[in-house]
Amino acid sequence: MKTPLRPLVLAAVASLLAVGCGPTPPAAFRLNMVEAVAPSAEKDSVAAELALSIDQQRQVATILAALFGSPDEPFCQPEMGLDPAKLRLAAGPVRSDIVGRKNGLYREHCVHCHGITGDGLGPTAAFLNPYPRDYRPGIFKFKSTERSDKPTHADLVKILHNGVPGSSMPSFALLSPAEVDALAEYVKYLSIRGETELALMRTFFELDDDAQGKLAETREFLIDEIVAPIAEKWTAASEAVIEVPEMPADEDLAASIEKGRALFHGNKANCVKCHGVTALGDGQANDYDDWNKDIVKIRDKLAKLAAGEADAAERRWAAGFQEVLVSEALRPRTIPPRNLRHGIYRGGRRPLDLYYRIHAGINGAPMPAAKGTVASEDIWHIVNYIRSLPYDFDGELGADRAVAVRPGPAVGLAATQED
Amino acid sequence: MSRLVFRSGSLVLGLMAAASAHGDEWGTLKGRFVLGGDLAAAAALTVDKDVEICGKHKLLSEEVVVGGDKAVANVVVFVRDKKVKVKPELEAATKTAKPVLDNANCRFEPHVLFVQTGQELEIKNSDTVGHNSNIATVKNAPSNILIPAGGKVTAKFTAEEAVPAQVTCNIHPWMKGWLVVRDNPYAAVSKADGSFEIADLPAGELELQFWHEKAGYLGEMSIGGKKETVKKGRMKRKIKAGDNDLGEVVLDAGLFK
Repeated sequence: MKTPLRPLVLAAVASLLAVGCGPTPPAAFRLNMVEAVAPSAEKDSVAAELALSIDQQRQVATILAALFGSPDEPFCQPEMGLDPAKLRLAAGPVRSDIVGRKNGLYREHCVHCHGITGDGLGPTAAFLNPYPRDYRPGIFKFKSTERSDKPTHADLVKILHNGVPGSSMPSFALLSPAEVDALAEYVKYLSIRGETELALMRTFFELDDDAQGKLAETREFLIDEIVAPIAEKWTAASEAVIEVPEMPADEDLAASIEKGRALFHGNKANCVKCHGVTALGDGQANDYDDWNKDIVKIRDKLAKLAAGEADAAERRWAAGFQEVLVSEALRPRTIPPRNLRHGIYRGGRRPLDLYYRIHAGINGAPMPAAKGTVASEDIWHIVNYIRSLPYDFDGELGADRAVAVRPGPAVGLAATQED
Repeated sequence: MSRLVFRSGSLVLGLMAAASAHGDEWGTLKGRFVLGGDLAAAAALTVDKDVEICGKHKLLSEEVVVGGDKAVANVVVFVRDKKVKVKPELEAATKTAKPVLDNANCRFEPHVLFVQTGQELEIKNSDTVGHNSNIATVKNAPSNILIPAGGKVTAKFTAEEAVPAQVTCNIHPWMKGWLVVRDNPYAAVSKADGSFEIADLPAGELELQFWHEKAGYLGEMSIGGKKETVKKGRMKRKIKAGDNDLGEVVLDAGLFK
């Protein structure tokens, strides 16, 4: 093991540079330290060469600053497909511009939870359950596209407009459409920046020996190989919206719910395995979402080092891991499957929203996609069954009980994409 | 910069092989991974879902599979060179090959599977319980598909993965498997007897990479009794036409702890 691990926190560097310039250092993006050290936490034998050295961390920070600017002066490359005017409106300190329009919306409304870097590590984050979204992996749960596709701009606007029920994310319906639009653009900016950072960090490991541990700082590498593929996924999202067939209209609602119940508990859709026979979300309790997996890895490695007899080098590693866990991450929590008896749906309660969740699964979460396996009309039956769950509780739960439903046609349940 | 020191005999052979690389000669690399030292027996997995079906199989951890004669299974060997020349017959054959990942007896079969980019991977479920296959690829879009009992789905990969991608089943959390996704067809996974073979390699110098799920990229190994330190599991090796037998490749038990 060569270098002792010393996380480089860029904010600290920035504040050193700012000495003598005033009491408050300029806002600075933080480096993704979890990603910088996580690969070294995976294995015993090659730990040192898997973590990013301080020089490599510096190179990532330098490249990111050159491509994306700073929180006060963000900029973007044409390949990113972002609108610089919207970014200016959202970024920087809260202030009025020359026409009296408020700027710095992200710092006014979002930064407390989502953090300057969009890492979900704002000052209030630790007190919230669920934790605020970390945008950096570019993974979003509640959207109209296939599981691994990006959300559309409209999906992000919808979350901002409606908030996320059952979480601490409020509705920003009181902002003007232009302001919400600017914030959605800034979320995309922070995501593309975070994904670029991840891609750069992961590339170190693939370098050939003659690169001597340094990334090429050429346009071909940075833009064509790293940024462009990330940005293309974002621009492709609007073309990738899931096509949802009409809910079967001639189906009696009670019959549809009954079919949905069979599917929910059956071996094909298998909802029951995680959401439980009671649908209380109690079927599976020991899984982590994708945002937490690397943190869990580091935590487990630290526990392993603490349990064994660590030599001096291992103690330095343990101290480094400890520092990352305390200052660069929140304590990991397992992800509970949704309790479907509450009638609270984070991604929206329209039948269409539930259809999207079941069809595509939930990106970043254990929820798999039913697409291809469960026919679209069967997905509609499951939607109807799920929508019946909060209302029919009579003290008895489980697969074998009958569902009480008032007879009637499925009128009013049909969804339209424009809703 | 190669860290390998060839014995004089193999150096001469190596140079000859390099000289003949232009003449389209093909060689086979093989060897057998064995464990140096001892490891505790594989632990039993906690089977707490679908116990009545999955519980029948007495599942053991497959993180490290050591067979008879200390054979180490599931070691991945592949050619790292991006522009490696591929034998035309092999290229044609792999294009149409259909690798299969089975969910069988509440485990992935095989535990480690090689898939070439562009190939159609069939993921099937031979069990009587439903599974899902959550594929954590990095360069390819990750996916998580539900596979009903007796059902199957397909997946395709377009980009090479630097590190093998883990496959898990969220319904049965003990289920873990790996996909090795590479652009060229030159990859092998060691079998239950520890042996591996990569045929039809172009003669000349190639960069090999060695990986194991518990040990990561293998940092050291003994080939023919000689210890090799292998940075990031990468090893440059001259391949000559015909057989290239590494013999016993000894992996120290410390790598797997």
